[in-house]
Amino acid sequence: MTTPLKIASRTEGKDTAILSLTGEVDVANAGRVRDAGLKLISDGIKHLIIDLSPTDYMDSTGLGTLVGLHKRLVESEGELIVAGPQPRVERLFEITGLTQVFRIFDDVDAALKEVRG
Amino acid sequence: MKTTTPDQVEIRLPRRAEFVRVARMAACAVASQLDFTYDVVKDVELAVGEACANAVEHVAEEGCNEILVRFGIDPTQLTIEVLDRGQGFDPNEAGGGREQDWDDPGGLGLGLVVIRELMDDMVIECDEATGTCVRMVKYRSR
Repeated sequence: MTTPLKIASRTEGKDTAILSLTGEVDVANAGRVRDAGLKLISDGIKHLIIDLSPTDYMDSTGLGTLVGLHKRLVESEGELIVAGPQPRVERLFEITGLTQVFRIFDDVDAALKEVRG
Repeated sequence: MKTTTPDQVEIRLPRRAEFVRVARMAACAVASQLDFTYDVVKDVELAVGEACANAVEHVAEEGCNEILVRFGIDPTQLTIEVLDRGQGFDPNEAGGGREQDWDDPGGLGLGLVVIRELMDDMVIECDEATGTCVRMVKYRSR
């Protein structure tokens, strides 16, 4: 039995990628998100946009995973950017104070626009 | 799922990550029977998921292979207990949340912060003999 989660990634230019998480991110599958993010970082990605618009559920394990990826990106002068979280997922960021850690945009296009400057 | 009394529901789960979702589904099913809004039902689901994830991620004792989730329903409140046989942890040290090691994907502190925010009451009891119990309460018609 596994929690449904579909992970898709695409790159934009040399150092930006979008990781889309469709379904539920929880203790059973957050490791897959971590692995996908670390792979992109090892490939030279500095700006990692996490598309949460198709994410129906996320728990603190998922949040912790995003924080870990963000730390690694910051070490290489990059960052993890959150895009399009649904209200319940966005509330989780607010409850935990992580709105002070991540930049959160309404959607991927807005995040990409910010990254491109 | 076994109903032990008219007002109690208990489920026993293998202490493995993939079964946390079962506890969440049970939480939704029980809370949906009561006079909670959809948002509150989802809050209860997330709180139960966090408590069970905590039991899975932060209890490493040998022989501790099961989680018991107990729902108690009365006219004033829904009480949920998540019990495991682990030795537990110091909730005073773990509860700060924002001072945790962010590399820890389990996010013990974050999980407790979430539960405290979503539920009306939360108590953690750690006992060498009986294990760890996270007890959460959501009041009805409040």
